[in-house]
Formats: sequence, C-alpha cells, structure tokens
Amino acid sequence: MEEVFIPALGMAMEEAYLEKWIKQEGEAVNAGDVIALIETDKAQVEVVCESSGTVGKHRFQVGASVPVGETITVILAPGESE
Amino acid sequence: MGSREEMLAMLRMMMMIRNFEETADKLTLRGKVSGGMHNSSGQEAVAVGVISALAPDDVIATTHRSHHHTLAKGFTAREVMAELMTKATGVAKGRGASMHLGDVSRGHFGGNGIVGAGMGIGMGAALGIKMAGDKKVAIGFVGDGGMNTGRTWEAINMAAIWKLPLIVVVDNNQYAVETFIDRVTAGGDLAKRASGFGLPASTIDGQNVLEVRDAVAQAREYALAGNGPTFLNALTYRYYGHNVGEKGQYRTLEEIEDWRSNRDPIDQFAARLFSEGHLDQATFDEMVASVDAEIKDAVEFAENSPHPDPSEVMLNVDSGKLRG
Ligand SMILES: Cc1ncc(C[n+]2csc(CCOP(=O)(O)OP(=O)(O)O)c2C)c(N)n1
Ligand SMILES: [Mg+2]
Repeated sequence: MEEVFIPALGMAMEEAYLEKWIKQEGEAVNAGDVIALIETDKAQVEVVCESSGTVGKHRFQVGASVPVGETITVILAPGESE
Repeated sequence: MGSREEMLAMLRMMMMIRNFEETADKLTLRGKVSGGMHNSSGQEAVAVGVISALAPDDVIATTHRSHHHTLAKGFTAREVMAELMTKATGVAKGRGASMHLGDVSRGHFGGNGIVGAGMGIGMGAALGIKMAGDKKVAIGFVGDGGMNTGRTWEAINMAAIWKLPLIVVVDNNQYAVETFIDRVTAGGDLAKRASGFGLPASTIDGQNVLEVRDAVAQAREYALAGNGPTFLNALTYRYYGHNVGEKGQYRTLEEIEDWRSNRDPIDQFAARLFSEGHLDQATFDEMVASVDAEIKDAVEFAENSPHPDPSEVMLNVDSGKLRG
C-alpha cells in the first residue's frame, strides 16, 4: 500500500490547500498518475502516485488545509484493503 | 590501486551515502527535515575519492550540498541524520540542520548557505595550516555555480601567491539550480580559467572514484612539499532536483537516465571490483544489507532523539562573558 501525502516542497511550507481530487475513491490508477491538486503559498502542485492500484478513501475533503507530511489517501495493490 | 579492504570500504561508503540521501529525501518530503536539504545522489565518487586521499587530520570546507562530503569525512549516519532533523544528538547539536554540518575539531570547517564561501573558508584553513607550520592540507569544495562568484577567485589568487596547501575541488554537477554550466561559463573551461592563476589545474572524471583519489593524492603531495594549491574540476551529475521537492523542467529525463545508467559512480566501481576479482556476489549482498541496516538505525536514532533544550538556546552563540 502506498501512502499518498502532502509533500514538503518549500523550506517554510507547513500546509497545503486541497483544491481538487483528480482520482475518485475506488478508481484504478497507474504509477505517475495525478491523484490530487493542492495549492501551497507559492504554487499549484500535482500530487502524483508512485505505484499502480486502486485509490483508497479520500481522507480530506476539497477545501481542507492539510499539514505537510499528512497522508491524504492510499493506493491499494490488488487484494489489499485499508 | 590500493588494498582490497580500502577498495571495499570506498565502495561501501558510496553506497551508504546513496542510501542516506535517498532516505533523507523521502523524510524531507514528509516534512521531517527542518529547512529542506540538497540531495547529492550521483556525486558520491567526488566526495569519497577526495577524502580517501586525505589523512584524518586534513581539513575540508564545503557548501550547501555537503552530506556526501561529511559522511565521507567519517561523520556517522546517525549524527548527520539527527542534525537534519535538528536534534540535540546531531553534528551541530541541532542548531545547524542540513546546510551547517561541521566540527572544526574533527577537520570539518562546515557547510554554509553562501555560494562560493566554502572555498574561501578552505583557503583560510590552509593559511592557518601554513602559519602553524602543520603538515596538512585543506580542501575547498565549490560548485560549478560557485565558480562564477568573485570570492572564489580572490581566494584562489591568495592561495596561489602565498603557496597555501589548498586543494580546490569543483563538485561540478553542471547545474546551478536551473542554470546549465555552458550558458554561464565564459571561456568554457574552468581548469583553463584557473590555470591563469599559475597553479596546476585539470578536469577529472568525477564519476571515477579512483581517478579522483589519485588526482587529490598527487595534489596533496605537491602541497605538502610547499608548492601551493591545485585546482581540480571534477565532472559529475546530480540525479535529483536542486533541493528536495523541486519540480524541475530544465533538463530532460533522457539526460538524467543516461548518467544514471551509463556513468553511475557506484555501478562503475562495483563492476570494476567484480571484474578484477576483488568483489563477489555474497560480499556485495552483505554490503547492501549492512548499509540498509545502518541507515534504518540512523533514522530511528534521529527520530527518537530529543530536540535541543530551549534553556540552552544561547549555547555557542557567544562566549557568555558579556552576560550576567
Ligand atoms: C551568494 C549566493 N548567491 C545565490 C544563492 C542562491 N543559491 C543557492 S544554491 C545556488 C546554486 C549553486 O550551484 P552550484 O554552486 O553549482 O552548487 P550545486 O547546488 O550544484 O551543488 C544558488 C544560486 C546563495 N545561496 N548564495
Ligand atoms: Mg552545480
């Protein structure tokens, strides 16, 4: 299971605004797909997954401010559950 | 070439640095490294080649990208990882983070955030060595970007006229943030530029750890004999962004892949040791496993270490004599 999280991109970045879920819960994804769009104080950033599988539960809703490092969803390999 | 033990130790050190950097990169993205970090993956042979040619007493001064130099100098993965997380058990007791690793008492005059400054600090260390009459040398590491700041050439000029035991090593990964070296280097050839100051200057393959080591060993002998500084432009490449989290679009994925698959310093050196019979699969696998265990232990150590005690905030800031 891969945890998809808010990456720390700047030295002073503490949280990000969850702008949009690109992949829905239960949707099949490939490594490199954009899962969500987030906004930091400097830029809009694509959050990408590194593995292929199925998107798990969205742990935050659009509009949430999410701390750096926090997992926003997981990518489940076949047979895995949350 | 050196003894088998030395060769294997050099290979293991490069593997340890790579594992350290890739692990620290992930921790940084997770927000666990205060102040970010600059990943040196791809540049291991410069650090290990240089430092394996030195005596323990020799001095280094480095740059903002300094984990590889620091680990090669003999600082432990534990104390460097702890410093990245600004923990009290870190190299700089948690005050410095990634860019301020160092300990003068152990021959490491520090990293710093000012491009080109490390080389000037190395020059100062070399002046100190000469004035004290010590039989040592100082390494001044500098990036290709640092080669286009004025201060570095002032320092090279001084080292040349005073014949200081300084070895300038350009950790030339060919990019300064997003700027490719060829776009900003008048004359094109850094070694030629340096030779204008009247010192031995050459460009070496920074992906070949033995070539780096031999060049530095020769420069060291030259300096210890009182002849003064040498300039070495070590051509290398960084695999990751300038700083962790950078989403760069200034170079192609093909270029990165080419360096990774055709010129990787660890792969090349391991292949050579295999083919010359110094390394077998079992020894190599053991090395991979022991490096892995060492870095996992370092992360655990760092995560479980405390932050500095706030009551000690003034420690090492001044002499303490002016305060009541
Ligand atoms: C005097 C100064 N100017 C600019 C910067 C911003 N800066 C930080 S790293 C860097 C690029 C340095 O490139 P290089 O010397 O090639 O080192 P590398 O990052 O490749 O290791 C710049 C411009 C700085 N820290 N200090
Ligand atoms: Mg550079």
